[in-house]
Amino acid sequence: MQYLNELKEKIKENLPELDMVVGWEQGFDSLRASPLFMRTEDDVDKMIWGPLCVHNLATYLPSLKGKKVGVVVKGCDSRSVIQLLQEKLIKRDDIMVFGLPCTGVVSLRKIQDNLGSLDYIESTEVDGDSLNITVDGTNHAFKLEDVAANKCSRCQYHNALLSDVFIGDPITEEAEDEYTDVDEFEDMSLEDRMAFWVSNMSRCVSCYACRNACPMCVCRDHCVAQSRDPHWITQEDTVQNKWFFQMIHSMHLAGRCTECGECERACPVGLPLLLLKRKMNKEIKELFAYKAGTLIDAKTPLLSFKVEEDNINERGW
Amino acid sequence: MKIGVFVCHCGSNIAGTVDVVKVAEEARKLPDVAFASDTMYACSEPGQDGIINAIKDLDLDGVVVASCTPRMHEPTFRKTLERAGLNRYMFEMANIREHVSWVGKDKEANTKKALDLVAMAVAKLTQGKALISKKFDINKRVLVIGGGVAGIQAALDCADGGLDVILVEKTTSIGGKMSKLDKTFPTVDCSSCILGPKMVDVAQHPNITLYAASEVEKIDGYVGNYQVAITKKATYVDWDACTGCGLCMEKCPSKKSTDYFNEEVGTTTAINILFPQAIPKKASIDADFCIKLIKDKCGICAKVCPTNAIQYDQQDEIVTEPVGAIIVATGYDLFDYTKYGEYGGGRYPDVITSMQYERLLSASGPTGGHVKRPSDGKEPKTIVFIQCVGSRDKSIGRPYCSGFCCMYTAKQAILTKDHMPDSQSYVFYMDIRAPGKLYDEFIRRAMEEYGTQYVRGRVSMLYPKNGSLVVRGADTLLGKQVEIEADLVVLAVGAESAVGASKLAEKLRISYDNYGFYMESHPKLRPVETNTAGVFLAGSCQGPKDIPQSVGQGSAAAAKVLVLFSKDQLESDPQVSVVDIKRCVGCGKCIETCPFGAIEEIDFRGMTKSNVIETICQGCGICTSTCPQGAIQLQNFTDNQILAEVNVLCQQTLEKSFE
Repeated sequence: MQYLNELKEKIKENLPELDMVVGWEQGFDSLRASPLFMRTEDDVDKMIWGPLCVHNLATYLPSLKGKKVGVVVKGCDSRSVIQLLQEKLIKRDDIMVFGLPCTGVVSLRKIQDNLGSLDYIESTEVDGDSLNITVDGTNHAFKLEDVAANKCSRCQYHNALLSDVFIGDPITEEAEDEYTDVDEFEDMSLEDRMAFWVSNMSRCVSCYACRNACPMCVCRDHCVAQSRDPHWITQEDTVQNKWFFQMIHSMHLAGRCTECGECERACPVGLPLLLLKRKMNKEIKELFAYKAGTLIDAKTPLLSFKVEEDNINERGW
Repeated sequence: MKIGVFVCHCGSNIAGTVDVVKVAEEARKLPDVAFASDTMYACSEPGQDGIINAIKDLDLDGVVVASCTPRMHEPTFRKTLERAGLNRYMFEMANIREHVSWVGKDKEANTKKALDLVAMAVAKLTQGKALISKKFDINKRVLVIGGGVAGIQAALDCADGGLDVILVEKTTSIGGKMSKLDKTFPTVDCSSCILGPKMVDVAQHPNITLYAASEVEKIDGYVGNYQVAITKKATYVDWDACTGCGLCMEKCPSKKSTDYFNEEVGTTTAINILFPQAIPKKASIDADFCIKLIKDKCGICAKVCPTNAIQYDQQDEIVTEPVGAIIVATGYDLFDYTKYGEYGGGRYPDVITSMQYERLLSASGPTGGHVKRPSDGKEPKTIVFIQCVGSRDKSIGRPYCSGFCCMYTAKQAILTKDHMPDSQSYVFYMDIRAPGKLYDEFIRRAMEEYGTQYVRGRVSMLYPKNGSLVVRGADTLLGKQVEIEADLVVLAVGAESAVGASKLAEKLRISYDNYGFYMESHPKLRPVETNTAGVFLAGSCQGPKDIPQSVGQGSAAAAKVLVLFSKDQLESDPQVSVVDIKRCVGCGKCIETCPFGAIEEIDFRGMTKSNVIETICQGCGICTSTCPQGAIQLQNFTDNQILAEVNVLCQQTLEKSFE
């Protein structure tokens, strides 16, 4: 919990000017964190910071539009804030960003895969690079890097890219993201890929947790998935419908997705949803040399109009 | 909903390869279809009466006509519906001619596809809504871009018709290519003598505002209400003060400036007036050659100018003119013959273009009308003309015929004999194309009365020998190789689209073909209209044209503008995007993607929302595919209408695979 005290101090310092600050607190057990909406100094004292703070709190910002909100962000979360600002979905003057350097967060799903069940957590301790979890009287030790979220191993942005208050020492190491996971998937045969998605989509329960957790999904009540006008998707419980929704979601996020992985993390049945979005982002990167959520003043390629694109030869004659 | 379906035979155009009776029978079984029949010609008067009667007898809510492309007859049938008391947008057209009967011969497959298209049209119509047009005021001023003969004619006709005309010309004088010509075919009358009076009329007409040395920078707005930003390029001369006396030209020491008007046959001074009949007759400085502007020395013109008109610090200026319609008359440019290695690729000074030869023939040209060949200034005795240089040649990407080269080559051969009675002209040609009034007779005169030798065949190479050029080519009528020792070789260069034509097209939002020539709305029936309302074409910007055709088009475009402006208000097309304010989250993504600037941000009870400005929206639909929540919908092409089409198409099981 490095930097936590300094962070708390800074938040307390700024709290009088803000309606609230969003951070994390311990959830219903020691392993699970939960978003914390701090309005008073007592609230601030409940805050935690570390590899268990998995949520991307930028997701809350569009729905808090109009209020003065502080938000605590990791490097990846800050990209979502930047993308939201770029798309004018939030106002810069209304938010205060508390940025931190992050060495990675855990994947509860990976821990669950190791432990079998996460229902009887007794205690959780983070100690440097290791994680000790006591379940049902037995202690389990993990190396953090073994149970870190996939996005962390390819993280290029450990430090918040945008912050009004930055706490801690910036991390200089950066991994390269060459979209190798997408390449590997694309090396599979078409039939195998089809079978992969059919089997995955058949497990989807249409809960739309992926959509609700997504910081860039701002339609909410007007999502085409549940709209009858326009009537894009029926409410039939079919693989086609579920898959169609994921396709729409991916298309809406092409070049906008900041790859925070909230869709995958929120999915109760563990569908590899980020893979779809990374495929789109890979194409965007190759075609437009653009990466979402890195510059406020940039324009998302698919959300702008150009008579002639630099890399698309529309007049091959 | 009660929908009537009418399947047109179009004589045998459709019925020849589509079982139209079966299509009508099957269409009757579709949901919401209350009536279906086949009809010989749906667009004919009895055909339209049949539609009207069915609407009235059966109380139909909408009509589907399965016939030809909507490009021609959609307006026809919309009016039919209106006459029967229905909203004109409760109509769909299934194109079973261009998309079915004309593209395949398999009657069974065609019938199936025709039915698919009808089913899609019906499904789309079931989701359709009545739409009402709005009226808006128009600005009855017209912009003419390009001051060549087509633009001059268009400007004069519009001005005589009582309209305010803004004429924009890129160079410092109007007149265009025609002003460079010595004589014109087929009457061999002096080009500047017939063009000059028209140019003077432009200058003197009270309704015409001329911007020479100016270019269109930006065009905003829509038919009836365009805002045009025009850049007045710096000429470094105050044109209000300049009297065109020409004293500056006499004294200017920079005499090696590129002479664009004379096609670089000779040079000119850095400050110059293009030609004696220039309109406006004002001097301008070529900044590439002016010693004062390059080295800050000299300044002689400022000293000699009797009216102190020289302004070395002049800057480009942008003026904005509101207009209601635009006539594009930007003309053509000449093919760059140096692409041809067999004609020397530009290495031999005595191989010149037809336009350069025109300047040599002209009394106001650099040689005062004496033909002197560039290499040594001698008068040539043997002159070889080579036709189709940059025309009808796929290998250099110019497969089209430029149309006027046969004629001007004959004219130049005649003029050559007139200038130098002891000369001999040879013309290498592929075919003679002279389909105009008195045109073929003119060619025959060149051959028979002026003794021009016409050799049917292509030239394979040129090479220099003893101060002249040996032209080696084929005589395909004799079936042998010929070699002619020429003193001068004139290349009949073809026409290509004007430099920068595509950029201007994008500003005007009009389309152009593979060669950069602007696309007319219909090649036969709408030759001067474009698909952008309020933008018209005149002259060679649409394709190579000679003077009579260009003048004709100039007048035609003017007539179209006068027709457009005969009403005080225009109706807007209601097929535009509309924002569902409940759904809109005000993210403004539609504003960013709209190519027309038709969407604005509004404050709706304290919330940011998008709003479509109906008159500017062109109905392209980019915003509707951008908006993630489907809050913005293109009327008559809503998501629901498109999805209904897709659904009906995907539900059908193929009885037979046609792959």
